[in-house]
Amino acid sequence: MAIINQATKELQVKIVYYGPAMGGKTTNLVQVHDHVQTAAGNKGKLVSLATSSDRTLFFDFLPIEAMSIKGFKTKFQLYTVPGQVIYNTTRQLVLRGVDGIVFVADSQYEKMPENVESFSNLDENLKSLKLNLSDVPYVLQYNKRDLPNVAPVEYMEFLLNNRDVQAPSFSSVAHKCEGVFETLNMITRMLLHKFVSQATPQYA
Amino acid sequence: MGTLPQLIEEDIQGLEEAQRELLEKSEATTALVIDKGGFLISSYGDARQFDLTTIAALASGAYLANQTIANLVHEPNFNSVYQQGERYSMFVLSVDEYCLLVVIFKALVSVGVVKYFALPAGEKIAVQMKAALERDPGNGLDLSVLNLADTAELFKRKS
Repeated sequence: MAIINQATKELQVKIVYYGPAMGGKTTNLVQVHDHVQTAAGNKGKLVSLATSSDRTLFFDFLPIEAMSIKGFKTKFQLYTVPGQVIYNTTRQLVLRGVDGIVFVADSQYEKMPENVESFSNLDENLKSLKLNLSDVPYVLQYNKRDLPNVAPVEYMEFLLNNRDVQAPSFSSVAHKCEGVFETLNMITRMLLHKFVSQATPQYA
Repeated sequence: MGTLPQLIEEDIQGLEEAQRELLEKSEATTALVIDKGGFLISSYGDARQFDLTTIAALASGAYLANQTIANLVHEPNFNSVYQQGERYSMFVLSVDEYCLLVVIFKALVSVGVVKYFALPAGEKIAVQMKAALERDPGNGLDLSVLNLADTAELFKRKS
Protein backbone atom coordinates (compact mmCIF):
# COMPACT_ATOMS: atom_id res chain seq x y z
CA MET A 1 0.00 0.00 0.00
CA ALA A 2 1.04 3.58 -0.61
CA ILE A 3 3.25 5.41 1.85
CA ILE A 4 1.61 8.56 3.17
CA ASN A 5 3.95 10.87 4.99
CA GLN A 6 1.87 13.56 6.67
CA ALA A 7 5.01 15.17 8.04
CA THR A 8 6.46 15.97 4.63
CA LYS A 9 3.11 15.93 2.76
CA GLU A 10 4.27 13.15 0.49
CA LEU A 11 2.26 10.37 -1.07
CA GLN A 12 4.14 7.50 -2.74
CA VAL A 13 2.25 5.10 -4.95
CA LYS A 14 3.40 1.88 -6.64
CA ILE A 15 2.03 0.87 -10.05
CA VAL A 16 3.07 -2.45 -11.59
CA TYR A 17 2.87 -3.23 -15.32
CA TYR A 18 2.01 -6.91 -15.60
CA GLY A 19 1.43 -9.20 -18.58
CA PRO A 20 2.85 -11.91 -20.83
CA ALA A 21 6.41 -11.89 -22.13
CA MET A 22 7.19 -9.52 -25.00
CA GLY A 23 3.81 -7.81 -24.61
CA GLY A 24 5.19 -4.26 -24.32
CA LYS A 25 5.46 -3.60 -20.57
CA THR A 26 8.99 -2.23 -20.73
CA THR A 27 8.10 -0.27 -23.90
CA ASN A 28 5.34 1.49 -21.92
CA LEU A 29 7.86 2.65 -19.32
CA VAL A 30 10.38 3.69 -21.95
CA GLN A 31 7.72 5.78 -23.72
CA VAL A 32 6.60 7.40 -20.47
CA HIS A 33 10.21 8.17 -19.63
CA ASP A 34 10.93 9.61 -23.08
CA HIS A 35 7.77 11.66 -23.53
CA VAL A 36 6.42 12.72 -20.14
CA GLN A 37 6.16 16.44 -19.55
CA THR A 38 7.61 17.28 -16.15
CA ALA A 39 8.99 20.15 -14.21
CA ALA A 40 12.75 19.90 -13.90
CA GLY A 41 13.77 17.12 -11.55
CA ASN A 42 10.37 15.42 -11.37
CA LYS A 43 11.32 12.52 -13.58
CA GLY A 44 13.72 9.93 -12.31
CA LYS A 45 16.00 7.64 -14.22
CA LEU A 46 14.59 4.55 -15.87
CA VAL A 47 16.40 1.62 -14.32
CA SER A 48 16.23 -1.72 -16.12
CA LEU A 49 17.49 -4.95 -14.66
CA ALA A 50 17.58 -6.77 -17.98
CA THR A 51 19.49 -9.52 -19.74
CA SER A 52 22.01 -8.78 -22.49
CA SER A 53 19.19 -9.26 -25.00
CA ASP A 54 17.08 -6.59 -23.29
CA ARG A 55 14.60 -8.99 -21.72
CA THR A 56 13.51 -7.92 -18.26
CA LEU A 57 15.26 -10.09 -15.68
CA PHE A 58 14.01 -8.61 -12.40
CA PHE A 59 12.12 -5.39 -13.03
CA ASP A 60 12.21 -1.97 -14.69
CA PHE A 61 11.73 0.99 -12.42
CA LEU A 62 10.72 4.57 -13.20
CA PRO A 63 9.91 7.15 -10.50
CA ILE A 64 7.85 10.15 -11.69
CA GLU A 65 5.94 12.91 -9.97
CA ALA A 66 2.54 14.22 -11.11
CA MET A 67 2.53 17.98 -11.52
CA SER A 68 -1.17 18.75 -11.35
CA ILE A 69 -1.93 17.45 -7.86
CA LYS A 70 -1.92 20.13 -5.21
CA GLY A 71 -1.61 19.53 -1.48
CA PHE A 72 0.63 16.49 -1.59
CA LYS A 73 3.87 15.81 -3.38
CA THR A 74 2.62 12.75 -5.23
CA LYS A 75 5.30 10.36 -6.39
CA PHE A 76 4.48 7.45 -8.65
CA GLN A 77 6.81 4.48 -8.86
CA LEU A 78 6.28 2.49 -12.04
CA TYR A 79 7.54 -1.10 -12.15
CA THR A 80 7.39 -3.87 -14.72
CA VAL A 81 7.67 -7.58 -14.04
CA PRO A 82 9.45 -10.17 -16.18
CA GLY A 83 6.82 -11.84 -18.35
CA GLN A 84 8.40 -15.26 -18.85
CA VAL A 85 6.65 -18.03 -16.97
CA ILE A 86 9.81 -19.16 -15.15
CA TYR A 87 10.23 -15.84 -13.34
CA ASN A 88 7.16 -16.20 -11.15
CA THR A 89 9.00 -15.76 -7.85
CA THR A 90 10.37 -12.47 -9.15
CA ARG A 91 6.89 -11.31 -10.13
CA GLN A 92 5.67 -12.04 -6.60
CA LEU A 93 8.50 -9.93 -5.16
CA VAL A 94 7.76 -6.99 -7.43
CA LEU A 95 4.04 -7.12 -6.62
CA ARG A 96 4.74 -6.60 -2.94
CA GLY A 97 3.24 -3.27 -1.83
CA VAL A 98 1.43 -2.72 -5.14
CA ASP A 99 -1.29 -0.07 -5.28
CA GLY A 100 -2.42 -0.33 -8.90
CA ILE A 101 -1.85 -2.59 -11.89
CA VAL A 102 -1.69 -2.10 -15.64
CA PHE A 103 -2.18 -5.41 -17.41
CA VAL A 104 -0.51 -5.18 -20.83
CA ALA A 105 -1.98 -7.81 -23.15
CA ASP A 106 -0.55 -8.73 -26.56
CA SER A 107 -3.30 -8.32 -29.19
CA GLN A 108 -1.97 -10.94 -31.59
CA TYR A 109 -4.34 -13.91 -31.98
CA GLU A 110 -1.69 -16.50 -31.17
CA LYS A 111 -0.87 -14.73 -27.89
CA MET A 112 -4.34 -15.14 -26.39
CA PRO A 113 -3.48 -18.27 -24.36
CA GLU A 114 -0.46 -16.44 -22.90
CA ASN A 115 -2.62 -13.41 -22.05
CA VAL A 116 -5.15 -15.57 -20.25
CA GLU A 117 -2.45 -17.52 -18.41
CA SER A 118 -0.68 -14.34 -17.34
CA PHE A 119 -3.92 -12.77 -16.09
CA SER A 120 -4.71 -15.87 -14.10
CA ASN A 121 -1.14 -15.86 -12.75
CA LEU A 122 -1.65 -12.24 -11.63
CA ASP A 123 -4.76 -13.27 -9.72
CA GLU A 124 -2.88 -16.14 -8.02
CA ASN A 125 0.10 -13.98 -7.13
CA LEU A 126 -2.11 -11.31 -5.63
CA LYS A 127 -3.81 -13.96 -3.53
CA SER A 128 -0.41 -15.11 -2.25
CA LEU A 129 0.01 -11.52 -0.98
CA LYS A 130 -3.47 -11.61 0.56
CA LEU A 131 -4.75 -9.22 -2.08
CA ASN A 132 -7.60 -9.60 -4.51
CA LEU A 133 -8.18 -8.26 -8.01
CA SER A 134 -11.46 -6.77 -6.89
CA ASP A 135 -9.64 -4.68 -4.27
CA VAL A 136 -6.67 -3.50 -6.35
CA PRO A 137 -7.44 -0.94 -9.06
CA TYR A 138 -6.33 -2.18 -12.47
CA VAL A 139 -6.51 -1.21 -16.11
CA LEU A 140 -6.23 -3.39 -19.20
CA GLN A 141 -4.17 -2.31 -22.17
CA TYR A 142 -4.54 -4.15 -25.49
CA ASN A 143 -1.19 -3.50 -27.09
CA LYS A 144 0.26 -3.96 -30.58
CA ARG A 145 -2.96 -2.90 -32.34
CA ASP A 146 -0.90 -1.95 -35.41
CA LEU A 147 -0.06 -5.57 -36.25
CA PRO A 148 -2.04 -7.36 -38.98
CA ASN A 149 -3.04 -10.46 -37.00
CA VAL A 150 -4.74 -8.85 -34.01
CA ALA A 151 -7.83 -10.22 -32.29
CA PRO A 152 -10.89 -7.93 -32.13
CA VAL A 153 -11.07 -5.83 -28.97
CA GLU A 154 -14.47 -7.39 -28.17
CA TYR A 155 -12.87 -10.84 -28.15
CA MET A 156 -10.10 -9.65 -25.81
CA GLU A 157 -12.70 -8.05 -23.57
CA PHE A 158 -14.52 -11.38 -23.45
CA LEU A 159 -11.32 -13.22 -22.52
CA LEU A 160 -9.79 -10.78 -20.05
CA ASN A 161 -12.47 -8.36 -18.92
CA ASN A 162 -15.50 -10.48 -18.11
CA ARG A 163 -15.58 -10.11 -14.33
CA ASP A 164 -18.58 -8.69 -12.47
CA VAL A 165 -17.05 -5.24 -12.47
CA GLN A 166 -15.34 -4.45 -15.77
CA ALA A 167 -12.00 -2.67 -15.70
CA PRO A 168 -11.25 0.26 -18.01
CA SER A 169 -9.45 -0.89 -21.14
CA PHE A 170 -7.38 0.86 -23.79
CA SER A 171 -6.08 -0.06 -27.22
CA SER A 172 -2.46 0.87 -27.71
CA VAL A 173 0.57 0.86 -29.93
CA ALA A 174 3.14 1.33 -27.20
CA HIS A 175 6.19 1.72 -29.43
CA LYS A 176 4.47 4.73 -31.05
CA CYS A 177 3.34 6.00 -27.62
CA GLU A 178 -0.32 5.56 -28.60
CA GLY A 179 -2.52 4.71 -25.63
CA VAL A 180 0.39 4.81 -23.18
CA PHE A 181 -0.50 8.05 -21.41
CA GLU A 182 -4.24 7.33 -21.56
CA THR A 183 -3.60 4.09 -19.65
CA LEU A 184 -1.28 5.70 -17.11
CA ASN A 185 -3.64 8.60 -16.48
CA MET A 186 -6.57 6.23 -15.92
CA ILE A 187 -4.79 4.05 -13.36
CA THR A 188 -3.45 7.06 -11.47
CA ARG A 189 -6.91 8.66 -11.40
CA MET A 190 -8.43 5.42 -10.11
CA LEU A 191 -5.78 5.19 -7.40
CA LEU A 192 -6.12 8.75 -6.22
CA HIS A 193 -9.90 8.54 -6.06
CA LYS A 194 -9.60 5.30 -4.11
CA PHE A 195 -7.30 6.96 -1.57
CA VAL A 196 -9.53 9.99 -1.22
CA SER A 197 -12.68 7.90 -0.81
CA GLN A 198 -10.91 5.91 1.93
CA ALA A 199 -9.68 9.03 3.64
CA THR A 200 -11.32 10.36 6.74
CA PRO A 201 -10.88 14.13 7.00
CA GLN A 202 -9.41 15.15 10.35
CA TYR A 203 -11.96 17.88 10.99
CA ALA A 204 -15.07 16.19 9.59
CA MET B 1 -1.07 -7.28 2.90
CA GLY B 2 -0.96 -4.48 5.42
CA THR B 3 1.63 -1.80 5.76
CA LEU B 4 1.95 1.59 7.39
CA PRO B 5 -1.05 3.79 6.67
CA GLN B 6 0.71 7.05 7.34
CA LEU B 7 3.52 8.70 9.23
CA ILE B 8 3.26 11.89 11.23
CA GLU B 9 5.90 14.40 12.37
CA GLU B 10 6.58 12.46 15.57
CA ASP B 11 7.32 9.27 13.59
CA ILE B 12 9.72 10.98 11.22
CA GLN B 13 11.51 12.64 14.16
CA GLY B 14 11.85 9.26 15.87
CA LEU B 15 13.25 7.64 12.74
CA GLU B 16 15.67 10.48 12.10
CA GLU B 17 16.91 10.41 15.69
CA ALA B 18 17.73 6.69 15.38
CA GLN B 19 19.43 7.29 12.03
CA ARG B 20 21.38 10.29 13.33
CA GLU B 21 22.68 8.32 16.30
CA LEU B 22 23.67 5.43 14.04
CA LEU B 23 25.63 7.67 11.68
CA GLU B 24 27.37 9.49 14.53
CA LYS B 25 28.49 6.31 16.26
CA SER B 26 29.41 4.25 13.19
CA GLU B 27 30.77 7.06 10.96
CA ALA B 28 28.59 5.74 8.14
CA THR B 29 27.58 8.15 5.36
CA THR B 30 23.85 7.72 4.82
CA ALA B 31 21.05 5.81 6.50
CA LEU B 32 17.70 5.08 4.87
CA VAL B 33 14.52 3.59 6.22
CA ILE B 34 12.67 1.96 3.36
CA ASP B 35 9.52 -0.06 2.89
CA LYS B 36 9.96 -3.62 1.62
CA GLY B 37 7.77 -2.62 -1.32
CA GLY B 38 10.55 -0.25 -2.41
CA PHE B 39 9.42 3.13 -1.04
CA LEU B 40 11.85 5.50 0.62
CA ILE B 41 10.40 6.44 4.02
CA SER B 42 13.16 8.47 5.61
CA SER B 43 16.77 9.35 4.91
CA TYR B 44 19.54 10.89 7.00
CA GLY B 45 23.08 11.93 6.22
CA ASP B 46 24.61 12.71 2.86
CA ALA B 47 21.79 12.50 0.32
CA ARG B 48 23.31 14.60 -2.45
CA GLN B 49 25.64 12.10 -4.05
CA PHE B 50 23.21 9.15 -4.18
CA ASP B 51 19.92 8.58 -6.01
CA LEU B 52 18.07 7.49 -2.89
CA THR B 53 14.73 6.74 -4.59
CA THR B 54 16.35 4.25 -6.92
CA ILE B 55 18.56 2.80 -4.18
CA ALA B 56 15.42 2.18 -2.10
CA ALA B 57 13.71 0.32 -4.96
CA LEU B 58 16.78 -1.77 -5.75
CA ALA B 59 17.79 -2.47 -2.14
CA SER B 60 14.34 -3.80 -1.28
CA GLY B 61 14.38 -5.99 -4.40
CA ALA B 62 17.87 -7.27 -3.59
CA TYR B 63 16.94 -8.00 0.02
CA LEU B 64 13.75 -9.85 -0.91
CA ALA B 65 15.55 -11.84 -3.63
CA ASN B 66 18.23 -12.89 -1.13
CA GLN B 67 15.61 -13.77 1.43
CA THR B 68 13.89 -16.00 -1.12
CA ILE B 69 17.20 -17.70 -1.88
CA ALA B 70 17.76 -18.24 1.84
CA ASN B 71 14.33 -19.88 2.06
CA LEU B 72 15.17 -22.12 -0.89
CA VAL B 73 18.30 -23.37 0.85
CA HIS B 74 16.28 -23.91 4.05
CA GLU B 75 17.96 -21.08 5.93
CA PRO B 76 15.47 -19.58 8.38
CA ASN B 77 17.91 -17.16 10.01
CA PHE B 78 18.09 -14.38 7.43
CA ASN B 79 17.76 -10.72 8.28
CA SER B 80 20.52 -8.78 6.55
CA VAL B 81 22.51 -8.29 3.36
CA TYR B 82 26.03 -6.86 3.14
CA GLN B 83 27.39 -5.53 -0.13
CA GLN B 84 31.14 -4.93 0.00
CA GLY B 85 32.60 -2.23 -2.24
CA GLU B 86 35.96 -0.57 -2.87
CA ARG B 87 34.63 2.96 -2.26
CA TYR B 88 31.27 2.51 -0.58
CA SER B 89 29.67 -0.52 0.99
CA MET B 90 26.07 -1.12 1.97
CA PHE B 91 24.42 -2.98 4.80
CA VAL B 92 20.70 -3.77 4.70
CA LEU B 93 18.97 -4.90 7.88
CA SER B 94 15.39 -6.07 8.26
CA VAL B 95 13.71 -3.90 10.88
CA ASP B 96 10.30 -5.55 10.98
CA GLU B 97 7.80 -7.21 8.67
CA TYR B 98 7.49 -4.10 6.50
CA CYS B 99 10.70 -2.08 6.75
CA LEU B 100 14.41 -2.22 6.08
CA LEU B 101 17.28 -0.09 7.35
CA VAL B 102 19.88 0.63 4.66
CA VAL B 103 23.29 1.94 5.72
CA ILE B 104 25.75 3.26 3.13
CA PHE B 105 29.29 3.67 4.44
CA LYS B 106 32.78 4.27 3.15
CA ALA B 107 34.75 1.10 2.54
CA LEU B 108 37.30 2.28 5.13
CA VAL B 109 34.65 2.05 7.85
CA SER B 110 34.48 -1.33 9.53
CA VAL B 111 31.39 -3.33 8.65
CA GLY B 112 31.49 -4.82 12.15
CA VAL B 113 31.00 -1.37 13.66
CA VAL B 114 28.14 -0.63 11.28
CA LYS B 115 26.44 -3.92 12.13
CA TYR B 116 26.99 -3.36 15.85
CA PHE B 117 25.28 0.04 15.84
CA ALA B 118 22.69 -0.82 13.18
CA LEU B 119 21.06 -3.44 15.40
CA PRO B 120 19.97 -1.04 18.20
CA ALA B 121 19.06 1.57 15.58
CA GLY B 122 16.86 -1.02 13.87
CA GLU B 123 15.19 -1.81 17.18
CA LYS B 124 14.41 1.88 17.79
CA ILE B 125 13.01 2.21 14.28
CA ALA B 126 10.88 -0.89 14.79
CA VAL B 127 9.44 0.60 18.00
CA GLN B 128 8.58 3.85 16.20
CA MET B 129 7.01 1.99 13.29
CA LYS B 130 4.96 -0.13 15.67
CA ALA B 131 3.71 3.03 17.37
CA ALA B 132 2.72 4.45 13.98
CA LEU B 133 0.97 1.25 13.04
CA GLU B 134 -0.92 0.99 16.32
CA ARG B 135 -1.92 4.65 16.41
CA ASP B 136 -5.07 3.97 14.41
CA PRO B 137 -4.36 1.71 11.47
CA GLY B 138 -7.82 1.78 9.95
CA ASN B 139 -8.46 5.47 10.33
CA GLY B 140 -5.24 7.19 9.52
CA LEU B 141 -5.62 8.67 6.08
CA ASP B 142 -6.08 12.39 5.83
CA LEU B 143 -5.92 13.34 2.21
CA SER B 144 -8.42 16.12 2.53
CA VAL B 145 -5.91 18.63 1.18
CA LEU B 146 -5.35 16.59 -1.94
CA ASN B 147 -6.80 18.54 -4.82
CA LEU B 148 -8.24 16.19 -7.41
CA ALA B 149 -10.19 18.85 -9.24
CA ASP B 150 -7.97 18.78 -12.28
CA THR B 151 -6.91 15.21 -12.84
CA ALA B 152 -8.09 14.78 -16.42
CA GLU B 153 -4.47 14.64 -17.49
CA LEU B 154 -2.15 13.90 -14.62
CA PHE B 155 0.67 13.08 -16.96
CA LYS B 156 0.98 14.97 -20.21
CA ARG B 157 2.86 13.92 -23.28
CA LYS B 158 5.42 16.41 -24.54
CA SER B 159 4.08 18.05 -27.68
